[in-house]
Amino acid sequence: MKTIITVLINHIKSWNMVWFGLIFWGSVLNAFAAEFGLLANNPNLSYFFFLFGLILGLVAKFRGTWLWIPAE
Amino acid sequence: MDSSRVDIYSFANEKEIARSFSKRFQWEMALIGLGQAAVFLSLWPLVILNVIPLWIGAITATFCALFAYLPSHEAQHGNYSRGKANRRWIDSLVSHVTLITLMFPHHIMRATHMKHHAYTNDPHKDVDYDTASSSSLLEVFLRSNESTAKYDKYLEVFKDDSNFVKSFEKGALVGLAYRGTLMTLVIFFPLEALFLWWLPSKVGVMYLSTFFSWYPHYQMETGRYKDTRFWHHLLPRYINHSMQLHFVHHLHPGIGHFDEPKAIEALKPFLIERGVPGADQIPDRVSYNPLIKL
Repeated sequence: MKTIITVLINHIKSWNMVWFGLIFWGSVLNAFAAEFGLLANNPNLSYFFFLFGLILGLVAKFRGTWLWIPAE
Repeated sequence: MDSSRVDIYSFANEKEIARSFSKRFQWEMALIGLGQAAVFLSLWPLVILNVIPLWIGAITATFCALFAYLPSHEAQHGNYSRGKANRRWIDSLVSHVTLITLMFPHHIMRATHMKHHAYTNDPHKDVDYDTASSSSLLEVFLRSNESTAKYDKYLEVFKDDSNFVKSFEKGALVGLAYRGTLMTLVIFFPLEALFLWWLPSKVGVMYLSTFFSWYPHYQMETGRYKDTRFWHHLLPRYINHSMQLHFVHHLHPGIGHFDEPKAIEALKPFLIERGVPGADQIPDRVSYNPLIKL
């Protein structure tokens, strides 16, 4: 059990920004798109917003910080 | 300097005066901390059930975030328990609850804040040096976006301090729980998660970094009486949570926040004598408005 928790924590520590990009920014962008009626005619656009969130997260992971924060 | 003068301004005298302002239970802070958290948490059902619109919820949550840190700060210094072991739970309770709004883990905040006091303005060991040394307010805003993740590198710096490491690891689990909660909420309530929690917490941290870290410590040296200054700006004292008086907190952290004005009036001659930056500009009576500089 302890090993599973350790593996999980290490994974979250390492991939935290990627998951945050995908889930948080993906959901937020998708919700904005729905709010502005962008998904009404093309629901598949949702994939694009989640993909965009994922890319934001990946860039942040390899850059070390989010795009809007100056890198050290 | 004659011997009587040395005696009047002795450290023992300074400490004795400071101690007389370090006894009161900070009930106002406990009330603010628990109160703002209660308001913040109540916003969720109110917004989700459409009792109030999201924009009102967002503004209210942002105000809650501005008030969220200081009650925890008092707890970090044990200013509720005042050295009584059977009252330490009040420190813990107030700090954990009030920090929900900012998504900050109490253990990490306490451990890192103690290091900030021990190594103020030290480029390698002061955990808040990044904001204090920013060259502009814009840089402060950008840097403060990193939130508690910026403290991770200090695990390496203080790896030999087992208490620090233990507290940090405890806090990291709470931090993970915050992240998990936010990620779960955003799936079901994306705009609410953004406008009621994520964005207000960011504004709260920017406010914190600006008034609690940048203004008091910007371009200051290291060492007692030198690392924090008395400063002026256009806004009345209550807008910046009285952080113009932050220097006295660095000298005597046990002085309760709401007792700092009276303590500064009493300690003013000592502060001038010691050459605290800006001390000669402290008014004889510290009310809310004399600190405005036009």
